[in-house]
Amino acid sequence: MAHVVLKNLIKTYGGYNAVNDVSLTINDGEFVALVGPSGCGKTTTLNLVAGLTSLTSGEILIGERLVNDVDPKNRDIAMVFQNYALYPQKTVYANLAFPLQMRKLPRDEIDRKVKQAAQMLDMTHLLERKPRELSGGQQQRVALGRALVRDPAVFLMDEPLSNLDAKLRVQMRSEIKRFHQDLKATIIYVTHDQLEAVTMADKLAVMSGGNLQQYDSPAKVFANPVNMFVASFIGSPAMSLVPLTASTVDGRAVLAGAEGWTLALSPLNARKVQRATSSKVVLGARHSTIKLTTSAVPGAIPAKAYTVEPTGDVTFVQAMLSGAIVNISVPPDVAVEADQPIWLAFDQDRMHLFDGATELALKAD
Amino acid sequence: MTIRPTEVPARATARPAGVFRRAWIHRADYLYVLPAIVVMLIVIAYPVYYTIELSFYNTPPSLQLRDKIFVGFDNYAIILGSDVFWQVTLNTFIWTIVSTGCAYILGLGCALCLHRAFPGRAVMRAILIIPWVISAVAAAYIWKWIYHSNFGVIGALLVELGFAGRPPNFIDSVNSVLPSLIVVNVWREFPFAMIMLAAGLQTVPDQLLRAAKVDGAGAWHSFWHVTFPHLRGVSIATILLLAVANFNSFIVTWIMTGGGPANASHIWITHIYEIAFGRQRWGIAAAYSVILFLIVMSLGYFYVRGLGGAEKEGGAS
Repeated sequence: MAHVVLKNLIKTYGGYNAVNDVSLTINDGEFVALVGPSGCGKTTTLNLVAGLTSLTSGEILIGERLVNDVDPKNRDIAMVFQNYALYPQKTVYANLAFPLQMRKLPRDEIDRKVKQAAQMLDMTHLLERKPRELSGGQQQRVALGRALVRDPAVFLMDEPLSNLDAKLRVQMRSEIKRFHQDLKATIIYVTHDQLEAVTMADKLAVMSGGNLQQYDSPAKVFANPVNMFVASFIGSPAMSLVPLTASTVDGRAVLAGAEGWTLALSPLNARKVQRATSSKVVLGARHSTIKLTTSAVPGAIPAKAYTVEPTGDVTFVQAMLSGAIVNISVPPDVAVEADQPIWLAFDQDRMHLFDGATELALKAD
Repeated sequence: MTIRPTEVPARATARPAGVFRRAWIHRADYLYVLPAIVVMLIVIAYPVYYTIELSFYNTPPSLQLRDKIFVGFDNYAIILGSDVFWQVTLNTFIWTIVSTGCAYILGLGCALCLHRAFPGRAVMRAILIIPWVISAVAAAYIWKWIYHSNFGVIGALLVELGFAGRPPNFIDSVNSVLPSLIVVNVWREFPFAMIMLAAGLQTVPDQLLRAAKVDGAGAWHSFWHVTFPHLRGVSIATILLLAVANFNSFIVTWIMTGGGPANASHIWITHIYEIAFGRQRWGIAAAYSVILFLIVMSLGYFYVRGLGGAEKEGGAS
């Protein structure tokens, strides 16, 4: 295994930067998820690391070696693809053996490695089958096995679970996670599913529009999103973002909503708001940090329930606030109905404040 | 191999008695296809029957077919006993196998070259299709001139470049006539293979090629392990169509040499045509056709069976 360093990667397609100045350091044995919406440049970044796409500028180091001009086959990487990319006319055994044959390994060593990989992924009984005789999950396991036999420095995985049905995806998710723990493998994993990224990865690299937005552990990305994009992308349901106006009432900093209400700020949050480039401030709050009451409470903001979605162990209530939808979770025994007046209290310690103009998170210092 | 247990009972239930009963149950359906069946009987079944009948008769001296003379299997005996039949059959097989093989390989090569983008690709593709779209008769005459021993371009070039003292006899020599005609045939046919295979190449999954690249396969291994297996289905269809066309070739050979010199370039169809319409020996020609029909049908049977097997293997796209 090896660490991977990406330095100022740029990939331009006809004047458009698909990957724009991305720099990352992936430590040895780390599981990093490149996550972002479609077209954010995550797959392009992975293809750059694999060498399947040529770099416009920047540097890629695998281990201590600069691999900018090295062929994919010599980069000591293995790749798992979204559509599995198994060779349809070859048996599972031949699929696993193929990368080793291409490296001209002796036959008995190939046999040993293939059987070892098959055993590890519990598919010894599938070795003589053709890919089309396998289920989606089994095919993905073969694809994983084909990467595994190579014993590569880095595993690259391009949305490997997105072709599986929901149940199988959850199962394969834990298998890949186990695979990573057992092998202590360096893995770069591309996904558009933030839940997959958060549950599996040691670190998230959140991308949007070809730019790396934030690179940190899932817990830190979740707790301290650097901007509004990350805040709204990571976490399910998404963080509610309410555009407000900063002002002062009786010398105290407040945020004013479009409906005319004001929200008094704690001293720390007031300092944050002072740093905003304009009076436009966006309040971010996760559903669990908002307290909903059905009667007026001091400091709570009046609103009206918009929709109510019971899910069993938790009920989600959506309310319109300053033109934005706010998501609140309540215990299932709290009786709320649509169009009913409700009061929302925001947790000052766990709320997020963003600059309305730059969309960056506001900091107190 | 896995054995599918459902196959055996399925075959066991298809007893002949059941077939007729089922046909009776579906009798209305046959009524709907009756017009098509009648047309088929008139344009296919009757000519086939008449050819078989004719193969047992000889042409009378009056050339009037109503006076034809019954000779039993004599015509078949004459054909199978003649050296010319075996020579023409050998010619036909050489012609078909070499033409089909070369057209396929050349077509595959061109399809692969045209598959990657380069400036002028569309123009190149259009140029390469020309041999296939121009009239076969015109092409045959053009090539006759190209090969001409006195005025031909190739002969003149070889002399000018010092490769030959005098222009070689391409189509007037027993040894070189068949290869020379095969060159023309391949030239005419390879664009067809190219178009078929180019279409097949479009369907090779890009992800599979990228996987092969990461797995360490170079250009050759990518082709051999990914692209070529993927083209299996379209290749089989292309080769079948080319082979059928080549077994039934007529125009190029007939126009360029008429089967000569000394039968060296005769293939089945030109030979039958000559026997029937050159020498008015209808019975022999008919018997010849029947033999040819049996050979091609049995080859076709095995080929189609092979095709079915290939599709089950999953190679077809």
